[in-house]
Amino acid sequence: MLLIHCPYCEQDLPELEFAYAGEAHIARPADPSKLTDEEWRDFLFIRTNPKGVHFERWRHVNGCARFFNAVRETVGDKFLATYRADEPRPDISSLTGDAK
Amino acid sequence: MTATTDPGVTVTELPPPTRITLRVADPTGQPLPTRIGAIEGCALCLGPDEWLLEGDAAADLVAGLPGPYSAVEVSDREITYLLEGPAVLDLLATGCPRDLASMPVGAGARTVYDTAQVVLVREANDRFRLTVWRSFAPHVRALFDIAMREIAAGL
Amino acid sequence: MTSYRLQGRGRVDHGKPVNFTFDGKTYQGLAGDTLASALLANGVHLMGRSFKYHRPRGVVSAGSDEPNALMGTRRGPGRFEPNTRATIQEIREGLEAASQNRWPSLAFDMGAINDNLGSLFSAGFYYKTFMWPRAFWDRVYEPVIRNAAGLGVSPTEPDADSYASRFAHVDVLVVGAGPAGLAAALAAGRSGASVMLVDENAEVGGTLLSEPTVVIDGQPAWDWLAATVAELDGLANVQVMPRTTAIGYYHQNLVGLAQRLTDHLAAPPEGAPRERMWKVRAKEVVLAQGALEKPLVFDGNDRPGVMLASAAQTYLNRYGVKVGDRPAIVTAHDSAWHAAFDLAGAGAKPVVIVDMRASVDPALTDRAHALGIEALLGRTVTGTAGRLRVTSLRVNRMEGGKAGEPRDIGCDAVLMCGGWTPCLHLFSHTQGKLAWDEALQVYLPGRKTEAVQIAGAGRGLWSIAASLGDGANAGAAAARDVGLEAEAPVFGVAADRTGSGITLKELPTDRDPAKAKAFIDFQNDVTAKDIRLAVREGMRSIEHVKRYTTNGMATDQGKMSNINGLMIASDALGKAPPQVGLTTFRPPYSPTTFGTFAGYHQDATFEVTRKTPIDPWAEANGAVFEPVALWRRAWFFPKPGEDMHAAVGRECRGARASVGIFDASTLGKIEVVGPDAVTFMERMYTNPWAKLGVGRCRYGLLLGEDGFIRDDGVIGRIAEDRFHVTTTTGGAARVLNMMEDYLQTEWPDLKVWLTSTTEQWAVVALQGPNARKLLEPFVEGLDISAEAFPHMAVAECTVAGFPARLFRVSFTGELGFEVNVPARHGRALWETLWQAGQQYDICPYGTETMHVLRAEKGYIIVGQDTDGTLTPGDAGLTWAIGKAKPDFVGKRSLTRPDMVAKGRKQLVGLLTEDPKVVLQEGAQIVADPAQPKPMTMIGHVTSSYWSDALGRSIAMAVVVDGRERDGQTLHIPMPGGTITAKVVKSTAFLDPENRRLSA
Repeated sequence: MLLIHCPYCEQDLPELEFAYAGEAHIARPADPSKLTDEEWRDFLFIRTNPKGVHFERWRHVNGCARFFNAVRETVGDKFLATYRADEPRPDISSLTGDAK
Repeated sequence: MTATTDPGVTVTELPPPTRITLRVADPTGQPLPTRIGAIEGCALCLGPDEWLLEGDAAADLVAGLPGPYSAVEVSDREITYLLEGPAVLDLLATGCPRDLASMPVGAGARTVYDTAQVVLVREANDRFRLTVWRSFAPHVRALFDIAMREIAAGL
Repeated sequence: MTSYRLQGRGRVDHGKPVNFTFDGKTYQGLAGDTLASALLANGVHLMGRSFKYHRPRGVVSAGSDEPNALMGTRRGPGRFEPNTRATIQEIREGLEAASQNRWPSLAFDMGAINDNLGSLFSAGFYYKTFMWPRAFWDRVYEPVIRNAAGLGVSPTEPDADSYASRFAHVDVLVVGAGPAGLAAALAAGRSGASVMLVDENAEVGGTLLSEPTVVIDGQPAWDWLAATVAELDGLANVQVMPRTTAIGYYHQNLVGLAQRLTDHLAAPPEGAPRERMWKVRAKEVVLAQGALEKPLVFDGNDRPGVMLASAAQTYLNRYGVKVGDRPAIVTAHDSAWHAAFDLAGAGAKPVVIVDMRASVDPALTDRAHALGIEALLGRTVTGTAGRLRVTSLRVNRMEGGKAGEPRDIGCDAVLMCGGWTPCLHLFSHTQGKLAWDEALQVYLPGRKTEAVQIAGAGRGLWSIAASLGDGANAGAAAARDVGLEAEAPVFGVAADRTGSGITLKELPTDRDPAKAKAFIDFQNDVTAKDIRLAVREGMRSIEHVKRYTTNGMATDQGKMSNINGLMIASDALGKAPPQVGLTTFRPPYSPTTFGTFAGYHQDATFEVTRKTPIDPWAEANGAVFEPVALWRRAWFFPKPGEDMHAAVGRECRGARASVGIFDASTLGKIEVVGPDAVTFMERMYTNPWAKLGVGRCRYGLLLGEDGFIRDDGVIGRIAEDRFHVTTTTGGAARVLNMMEDYLQTEWPDLKVWLTSTTEQWAVVALQGPNARKLLEPFVEGLDISAEAFPHMAVAECTVAGFPARLFRVSFTGELGFEVNVPARHGRALWETLWQAGQQYDICPYGTETMHVLRAEKGYIIVGQDTDGTLTPGDAGLTWAIGKAKPDFVGKRSLTRPDMVAKGRKQLVGLLTEDPKVVLQEGAQIVADPAQPKPMTMIGHVTSSYWSDALGRSIAMAVVVDGRERDGQTLHIPMPGGTITAKVVKSTAFLDPENRRLSA
């Protein structure tokens, strides 16, 4: 069970309060009808699934109920950072340098 | 052999107060706490735009707010238990993964107890209020009863 | 007491005899004994039979690493546990223990014939032997092997015990309460840190319990231990927990602890759980788990009476039990010499100390001489003799690196020591790296991934003085890391018995090594030659060697066998041990009961059972219940003598003929409020909402972004800026989560908010031609006549004196109302309507009747008639799509090529040729029943019932291009024969014109 820093509650809280919600930074297109079938397929189904640094969404569903974003290193299963849904992607190099 | 003793904690169901779930986009200038977990008057801040209002003052608070907002009465949605006694932290530790010893008196939080979502308010060092959706309440209560027997057994 | 117990010796209570039984015979032990020590005190060494070969086995260790002395233990009905380690289980008055894996008796076991068929069971025998003929596998090989090989039997009765669980948060968790762990807890505890000190044994102290002669700070070890425990007990911030095994070490210093609470008690207190699982989050962890002694690998090293030297020392010093009068000691490490000296001091006559090393510290040989013990250096051991107990040891000189002349030495026990290996299982759980230490010939902790320190023997420190100092430093450092001021206490230690040794592969022999039964893994019966065979047959990775031979795969996880297996595999591969590497340790550290993992989740609290406010009435009125998601719902209300079929038929007739009453409280409800509520609804649901008037309802259809149906429900507009959304019972949480997701992350600009009101409202449905007549007198503030309150109207009013939201809706095709009142009034409302309804023969109905009534109308149930791959088009719901809307969730997907292609499965009706035959839900459908198997399946039955109203069976099904098959005959092959049925395009079997609905 991980400890997750909720960027809204500003506390490290047990994973049991949270729910994973897929890859982050995949915005729903403003006008889906303008997308080709291939573009729409990619939006629906194509995900990066990296070995290493992954940008993902979590929801503090049993807490403040907010969706937020996280940077997690998938090999060691460690959170490098969490940030609010409306914040930009953090710079990876600043996180992976000597992350504990 | 340890004899069965007083569990050191009591669980009491409280009569339901008026409860309102309030959602406000911008609480600036309103009588609402803005730090999650903080309580001011009848309002407990559960999320950045969400408050649980409890008691007779709830309706007045809502009436005084400028729009837009959402106020939905949920008085009957949940059951509140008063948990009180020196063993109250042990009781909650049977199902709540949070470090409640570090929760300040006068604060609250939405969290989980076993598989049920609950709202906890710490009223005193050894006194909490636990609010849980109505249909989950018997499960939580049954677990409390088991845990109280366990604590009383002294092992 | 028998001759093997030494009066006054050990930590057992000589004044407190305890009676227990083993294989039906009563024995007496002492309070403080384990099953193993008590049996040894009675001269019993034979404690079990081995896994594959059924060889007689005695106890090897005195701790949780025990591979042999596994027993069934029992405390009355429902309280039986197989594979209890006799070395861990404390005796209690009345304890019943039984040996395992033997028939008819432990001393004479038919299965021992396997021992002579050893070649059949060599490495990889699972993969090689039972390949052919194929049909034999299920019917012969597997049952026979399962029966013959295996240890305890599973209990057959439900577990009568209860189990507990607890979360804890501490500054410092110390695992292991030997010298290092105690010192760490002292250092951290004195700093004020919150400390949890756990140990798997019944008593804390670790090595100190079997080393009473050591002097710490001027006190004998046990006095120092008592004072230390007293100090720790006196610190409010320190919790000392014996009988508590750290079973798993997870991310961010979460450690799972299994605490044994009652198995040692003759009469556990009322309400006490048997075991408790702790989930401890520690800021800092100190692992002080010590080291494990390794056996030496030689032919016959598994005979009863052969055990680890440290175990013999523990039985002697801690339990006051001599494991033999004439023990022989075989060793590659100094520590076993001290075991011999202790035994000699206690009146035993060690016959020989055989050391594999050519030279040892002269102090050791001098002491042996002084005690009259023969010492043989530079020897090898090549065999033992004795049927159910070792009687002699075969020792050979080493000549030019080879085993020379043998000599048999009579003995009644063999105490072996192949050196020590640091116990780093928990450290390995964290993916911490191990580093091979060439000088010590052991793996030591390397790179760490967690806030953890390893102290004492776990770091290769073999002396008590070093462990105390190391533990003190680790504890102080941990306290400092959590921001406290801490000092490492300094201990003065005298009479410490430190030592060194070497690490070996299997011992050289003058006999045919292919015939040697030199065991590495006692629990899985893996020998040295199995490892070499695996390498010869091509296994190169240690992980493959492990799986091919099953070395280290038993419940002890190779605590004794891993390093010996590695040394032999390395030798066979011609590589250095670190190039071969270790296999992975995984949780749990030692076998853990299912009950401990289950915790409180048994019986009534197995999982949440959600009940509505009306549930008690249903229960009092004889309802049969069914689970729907986490809810239990009234399924049907049988009258005396009625079966389900009869009850459901009567309930259906009651609702269609007059009025039925139904508890619809479990429906999910979401209040959508805000100036942008209608915009939000337009975007979420397929339907148009802008023109829905206040006070009106509409059926809403929700898709996923992939275009497939996710949920549906009736949605009422309560005000311009307020919708009352209903969802399916099982979909409520999912739908709210999905809506929140879009709202928070895609459309945060919308001024609209969602609140779950599922449990705020109790919902009573009245359905049937007399529904209005029944309800009307109770309604205040609203005209519910057909004209004023038509189908799909909603209003707030008062019903039976309770504030209510009244919907005129129907899931039955009848005139219907759903009355929502605050949940606390639900039962009162129900009983009021029930009483008043007597004049109309009101009929309470359950979910089964609800299903039949809706199926007669062809209304779908999302999740039953849809399965996550149906589009609105597939389900015949294109009428629910707002064609003019530019966008809604899932819209774009509806024009993807696959979604509009021919050959999609479509929902249709099915009418069996024989109207009395009711199809099975889930049954597969084929076009041509004469085609060869495997047949091409073109669909399946989703809903199927007996319809009382129609006097025949009805069914719904999804069928490839179903609507084009209107009128076609399809076939449903079943075990009892093929059923034929006709496709009907429309699923509205009853009243397709909806006349009853608008009454």
